[in-house]
Amino acid sequence: MNLNYTFNWGMLLVDPARSWILNGIAMTIGLSLLAWVFALAIGVTIGSMRMTRSRWLRFLGGAYVELFRNVPLLVQLFIWFFVFPLLLPRDWMMAWNGLDHVPLLTALIGLSLYMAARVAEQIRSGIAAIPKGQFAAARSTGLGEFQVYRHVIAPYAFRVMIPAIASEFMTTFKNSALALTIGVAEITYAARSIESWSFRGIEAFTVASATYMTTTAFVVLFMGWLERRLRIPGLIARR
Amino acid sequence: MSDPLVSIRNLGLRYGTFRALEDVSADFSRGTCIVICGPSGSGKSSLLRCINRLEEFQDGDVVFDGASLRACRDLPRLRSEIGMVFQHFELYPHLSVLDNVTLAPRIAKGKPRQEAEETARRLLDRVGIGDQAGKFPGELSGGQQQRAAIARALALEPKLMLFDEPTSALDPEMIAEVLRVMRDLARNGMTMLVVTHEMAFAREVADEIVFMDKGRIVERAETARFFSAPTAPRAREFLDRILHRL
Repeated sequence: MNLNYTFNWGMLLVDPARSWILNGIAMTIGLSLLAWVFALAIGVTIGSMRMTRSRWLRFLGGAYVELFRNVPLLVQLFIWFFVFPLLLPRDWMMAWNGLDHVPLLTALIGLSLYMAARVAEQIRSGIAAIPKGQFAAARSTGLGEFQVYRHVIAPYAFRVMIPAIASEFMTTFKNSALALTIGVAEITYAARSIESWSFRGIEAFTVASATYMTTTAFVVLFMGWLERRLRIPGLIARR
Repeated sequence: MSDPLVSIRNLGLRYGTFRALEDVSADFSRGTCIVICGPSGSGKSSLLRCINRLEEFQDGDVVFDGASLRACRDLPRLRSEIGMVFQHFELYPHLSVLDNVTLAPRIAKGKPRQEAEETARRLLDRVGIGDQAGKFPGELSGGQQQRAAIARALALEPKLMLFDEPTSALDPEMIAEVLRVMRDLARNGMTMLVVTHEMAFAREVADEIVFMDKGRIVERAETARFFSAPTAPRAREFLDRILHRL
């Protein structure tokens, strides 16, 4: 390949590129991990609501999932950034705008709520995959409904769900790139800054790609370890 | 029949428009072993599942040990007095055999772990798999799994045991070991309702046979009389077919 381009990887190691990259990586990882924690907590709650006997809770859970899953994340981020503050009472809006890191907070809210809908859907399908007989057996021994889920269904379903949950975890990292559109200086934002400052797009976006690939590789390793650790003896191993 | 343990009164169960049980009435006394048989879809399993209210019936009532199920406000307590064994075992795959047996006594009944484990080990010995306590269900044979499931049900010290086709999913050579445990239970005075196609077991162990068809009890007779002279034509036909398999 005859590329009319001279690489200069060294420029990535000196400021300002260096600090842009380091801050960008920290921002990507921090934002994604925090969003993932919230997504798991909210997603498990919403997913569980959809499995209860209460029609209202099921409806609310279903509405949440449909709402947040069916609007593109980019649009949701814009709504949280441009529309949501306008809907607040005046005092609250002023307080909100006065906060530090409004773009970061907005990205955290948007990403968490969006990923929560996807986690909720995985929880629902994971529980639906458990044979009905397990519920019957657990109930027949006198366990209450919460105990049935806590001691029998959840531990079993969680193992079934690990691969799907791992995939959502990786998606969270990749989706965090959209935060650049509302001004969060994560790694993709950093790559763009480097490109417009130095016109070195190849180097800049290689760093961004490598960041996503490395973090998701860690997720794969971690989830694989978790899966092996929780493997149920006697059941067909998943690899 | 005085003071029956289970009294089924005009029971009716519908799934949508399908009538699974229609106007079923029967009393079962303490210490008896009753075999319920009949063609598939006749409502045998549904009847068992109404007795611990795994199915919500629409009509009639079941009175267990003097208490109405319809009026029951504490289902877990009721269910902990009725052991149930399923066709597909339904052991919890993520728990060891010992934990399978101790889960409900510890969690639902609040027994201390040590006491629950002592009881569990005694029961596992009794069903002949004491050496398998530390294994997981997936590491056991079908017959061993079903015996573990029986131990799990017995751990609650139930007043009644329900068996829902306990040997239908087993290889022929494993059926015997499960039936042996059940026979042993019956001889020790456990009240048992057994849905099964094992007619040799029924003939040997059951006190009475209940024959069901299309959601109704069409015949109920003492075991010897049922096999020698069933009165309902449908029961005669069924017996013919099952005893002289063509």
